[in-house]
Amino acid sequence: MASRFWTQGGDSDTEEEEQENSEYEDGSDAEQPAGDNAGATARSRYLRDQASDSDDSDGQHRVIKSARDKRFDEMASTVDQMKNAMKINDWVSLQESFEKINKQLEKVVRVTESVKVPNLYIKALVMLEDFLAQALANKDAKKKMSSSNAKALNSMKQKLKKNNKQYEELIAKYREKPESEDEGAEDEDEDEDEESEAEEDPSKIVMSDEENDDEDDEDEDDRDEEGGGAWQRKTSKKDKLMDKQFMKDPSEITWDIVNKKLKEIVAARGKKGTGRVEQVEQLTFLTRVAKTPAQKLEILFSAISSQFDINPSLLGHMPINVWKKCVGNMLLVLDILEQYPNIVVDDMVEPEENETQKGADYNGTVRVWGNLVAFLERLDSEFFKSLQCIDPYTREYVERLRDEPLFFVIAQNVQDYLERIGDFKAASKVALRRLELVYYKPQEVYDAMRNLAEQTGTEEGLEDGDESEEKQSIEENRGPPVFISIPELVPRKPTFPESSRTLVDALVSHIYSYGDERTKARAMLCDIYHHAIFDEFSIARDLLLMSHLQDGIQLMDISSQILFNRVMAQLGLCAFRAGLIQEAHGCLFELYQGGRVKELLAQGFSQNRYHEKTPEQEKAERRRQMPYHMHINLELLEATHLISAMLLEVPNMAAAAYDPKRKPISKTFRRLLEVNERHTFVGPPENVRDHVMAATRALSKGDCHKAFGVISSLDIWKLLRNRESVLEMVKSKIKEEALRTYLFAYSSCYDTLSLEQLTSMFDLSKAHVHSIVSKMMVMEELQASWDQPTKCIVFHNLEQTRLQSLLFQMADKLIILAENNERAFEARTGGGIEGLPPKRREGMDYATSGASNRWQDNYVSGASQGRQGGGYGGRLGYGGRTGGSAQAGGGFQRDHSGHGSRGAGGYYGGTGRTSYHASALRGAQVEGSAGMVNLSRAGRI
Amino acid sequence: MANTMGRSFLQAAATSEEVAPPLRVVQIEGLAVLKIIKHCNEFLPSLVTGQLLGLDVGSVLEVTNCFPFPIREEDEEIEADGANYQLEMMRCLREVNVDNNTVGWYQSTLMGSFQTVELIETFMNYQENIRRCVCIVYDPSRSAQGVLALKALKLTDSFMDLYRNNNFTGEKLREKNLSWVDIFEEIPIKVSNSALASAFMTELEPELPVKQCDYDRLKLSTAPYMERNLEFLIDCMEDLSAEQNKFQYYYRNLSRQQAQQQTWLQKRRVENMARKAAGEEPLPEEDPANPIFKPILEPSRVDSYLITNQISNYCNQINGVATQSFNRLYLMKALHED
Repeated sequence: MASRFWTQGGDSDTEEEEQENSEYEDGSDAEQPAGDNAGATARSRYLRDQASDSDDSDGQHRVIKSARDKRFDEMASTVDQMKNAMKINDWVSLQESFEKINKQLEKVVRVTESVKVPNLYIKALVMLEDFLAQALANKDAKKKMSSSNAKALNSMKQKLKKNNKQYEELIAKYREKPESEDEGAEDEDEDEDEESEAEEDPSKIVMSDEENDDEDDEDEDDRDEEGGGAWQRKTSKKDKLMDKQFMKDPSEITWDIVNKKLKEIVAARGKKGTGRVEQVEQLTFLTRVAKTPAQKLEILFSAISSQFDINPSLLGHMPINVWKKCVGNMLLVLDILEQYPNIVVDDMVEPEENETQKGADYNGTVRVWGNLVAFLERLDSEFFKSLQCIDPYTREYVERLRDEPLFFVIAQNVQDYLERIGDFKAASKVALRRLELVYYKPQEVYDAMRNLAEQTGTEEGLEDGDESEEKQSIEENRGPPVFISIPELVPRKPTFPESSRTLVDALVSHIYSYGDERTKARAMLCDIYHHAIFDEFSIARDLLLMSHLQDGIQLMDISSQILFNRVMAQLGLCAFRAGLIQEAHGCLFELYQGGRVKELLAQGFSQNRYHEKTPEQEKAERRRQMPYHMHINLELLEATHLISAMLLEVPNMAAAAYDPKRKPISKTFRRLLEVNERHTFVGPPENVRDHVMAATRALSKGDCHKAFGVISSLDIWKLLRNRESVLEMVKSKIKEEALRTYLFAYSSCYDTLSLEQLTSMFDLSKAHVHSIVSKMMVMEELQASWDQPTKCIVFHNLEQTRLQSLLFQMADKLIILAENNERAFEARTGGGIEGLPPKRREGMDYATSGASNRWQDNYVSGASQGRQGGGYGGRLGYGGRTGGSAQAGGGFQRDHSGHGSRGAGGYYGGTGRTSYHASALRGAQVEGSAGMVNLSRAGRI
Repeated sequence: MANTMGRSFLQAAATSEEVAPPLRVVQIEGLAVLKIIKHCNEFLPSLVTGQLLGLDVGSVLEVTNCFPFPIREEDEEIEADGANYQLEMMRCLREVNVDNNTVGWYQSTLMGSFQTVELIETFMNYQENIRRCVCIVYDPSRSAQGVLALKALKLTDSFMDLYRNNNFTGEKLREKNLSWVDIFEEIPIKVSNSALASAFMTELEPELPVKQCDYDRLKLSTAPYMERNLEFLIDCMEDLSAEQNKFQYYYRNLSRQQAQQQTWLQKRRVENMARKAAGEEPLPEEDPANPIFKPILEPSRVDSYLITNQISNYCNQINGVATQSFNRLYLMKALHED
């Protein structure tokens, strides 16, 4: 083919291209036929060439169709396809065929070199048109269509209209000639056609532009530029529109005109053809020509809501400039409300039609529809969203953060206004929004914000003023002067009290007195968080415990749960800073239990290998994320958690070596440790976990200096304000725990141990060591006593023999068995398991949870053996009756009540008894494993 | 010897027709005992079994010889080999003119933990072919303390009946008045030696009145044995608790079902009254199609019986050992004081 073209010379080529282009563009321009003409002459030559070509090859066997025939055949087959599709009413395939036929038409035209569009095509068009008209007329059928089919029908309608316009004459001719059909419908169609064309075109293009770049938020800059471009284009257009109405003469503009225009614009809202940005512009223009303050207010409200509309997607955020304008509008609203106290904003009642006609001098209340709180909350969430979306490492993020005071101003003003009009409930909602901006800020950040607000308040006020003045002046040049000018009544600068505590207190107390349940709960959480930041652990903890938030938090919404998690994390950090290791661990371990800290704190996503999230879940999760500046440092959190777990767990592990019953305090920590111990070679620590594990190794050997060295080499400590004191605390804690661990682990190797030795080993003061060791003795963790004159610890190495521990296990089992028998017996005698008295059931729980508890109870009331014999022993004596298997248990109990002992039961009872007496002598004890303690005691006596 | 043999053959032939008198004594040859002990001790950590050969003479079961089974492995093929081995062995023994009449088997045990379902099943297998068979259990660990821990066991007839029919419901057990004690029957063992052997032994007997087993009995460290026993006991207790739970669950379900049945019956009766008043046929008071009438399967009691047996066994052992140790300790104390 190409060679042929070349022989033709460049001419035809270009012509063809031109023709193609015009085809593609669907333009209904009159130039086309001319171009076609030119092309046709060129192509006739070409065709002739081709014809001769095909003549040459005629001699051969192969039946070779001319390209022309081929094209026609193709077209004919497509028409057949279309017919088929029509029969089954399949618009989707019809649409495809239509596109196909259009393409084929190009080729045919190219091949046939004729000016005339082939009759076949026209026929197909007419056929299509008729069918379309028929389909459209038949409303029922249309309703029944599947959505994709209906969609195809609609698009087909539009395409056909555009397309047919080119061939109007031909179609008309065709219609006249072969058969006359209902022309009326067609005419109508064409009328419609024109209308829609006129309406649709430009705005649609711009619209789609907008939508496109709204969707991809990534290149903000580009979008802004583009948006700006579109905006400018549109202003001019809008001006044209507006000017038609308002440029005539300012005095001619009446309330009615403005109202009508407003209605028109509002009615267009949400429709497909309306440009959102454009609408905002129109409304802003309208605000200037509003006749009464109430009207202005109404227009402002619609302007604000259409500003919210600009961003259609749930994920993206409102463009920042729009947000700022929106803030400006809100301020204007507040100004108006300030100046005209008789205007009431309400979203409950439908205002009368002409309510806003009442002028500025009208004295009665004017009701305007609107909801300030909703607007404010929306503004806040848009701000939040924008912070979620912007990359926190860019300057933009910082810039965006600087807008915080702006929002603060409005919130403050709205709250003031609401309080003034007595709507305290709404005010409390606003207060919560304000609180949520402040609660996570430590004093330094708060001060910075305050300074910023003060500086930029003046600067920006000026700037803004300049800008707006400039803009106004520009606009004023173009448009009429503002009818209702409102002075800036509401303060444009946020006022912050000296310390954030006062602010939080004020907000919180307001919310506590007026807010609803959720608001109160959130406020409480914020309050606790704030206290925790300010190192007031006891207050924070008391608040948390008193509010009983922990009980109900599962039932609250997810964002509140996240807040709760944040509070717990912060509380843990606070406790750690205060040196309350146990409490810190208590606060944090739940967060780390599932390994989903990031998710729980909404500070990122944790990958879960085992079940994939649905896209919806992922989106929802993304929407919940905390903006970067609110994050709690995860490394610090992890370090805090692990260190506190280490400090608790290492001595516990050392102690547990002799007592298998001891439960691990932190399972997470244990697991990590196991993983770490499995490594054959241990490299130098890299992350937080490695550091803590290295420290754990050192600590479990009692090497506190090395442990502290490793811990203090963590670089997260610089994040702490009072780094020195915290490190000091950690150091002393590590020393203490190292001492305890050492004593647990190696006490069996010593007979005596001098105080000096310990003080020098662990670098602790004598009093300190003394107190720790004494405490361990009291808690029965260490079987030792002080030898005062020599300042030595004398160990009583009395280990439980294996036989003894087995005996204790045995006794536990026996008790369980006896209890079970008792239950079976009761079920048999008709007591019924369900009908057991609660007290009895309690006893069972004890029994199953380990008999040591039960024993414990007895020790506490150990002296009153008679009572035991009567009550406890008597009750279990039951077991003796029920069967032989419980005989041992029975015997054991009988021993208590003072009868003689016999057999195996007596044997156990015998050992048990001595220990009872021992503990009765020593008095009640506090804690610890009953079994071990008592046996060793017995031995000592 | 030949004389007694002949008599016992005659006796055996005579008694086979009559109702078999109950088995009173297991009379075991010293040779067999020694072979058992040797076999069991040599393979100590693992448990071994072997065949007992002998004669059934009236109320006395004579065990005259035995041979060990090769160590069993869990494999079909090898099991078949085992059977072949057994047959081959018997054939060989017959050739050398040894009793080749199987009367049971022996096995070693650990701390007397022999009361298992497997044992019962083996018993049932043997019982199919041999009317009277015994199992001789030898406990090497206990023997180390200076006792000949040899026990001859058989299943009681009533238990065997029940087991064959496989109904161990509470009802049946009560009917038969069978408690856990009645599963196994221990038969006293009498060790007999030929006069020649006895004479030779007397000849060999040293002058000293104290023998090796007496020294063994004086060993003071009984803790390991006690510990092992206790461990086993604890395990058994656990099993027993599990069994208990099973039964509790069953009874709970049963009572629930009964309550359901009651309510259903009541409803049916009310309905029937109404039907009667209306002059219609009353509906039957049983409805087998109803799921609430489907009987709940009662868990078998064999396991709990066996466990109970086992427990009592352990208890006895512990008791015995403890008493002995106390005696020894007191003795030691007295010696020290002197």
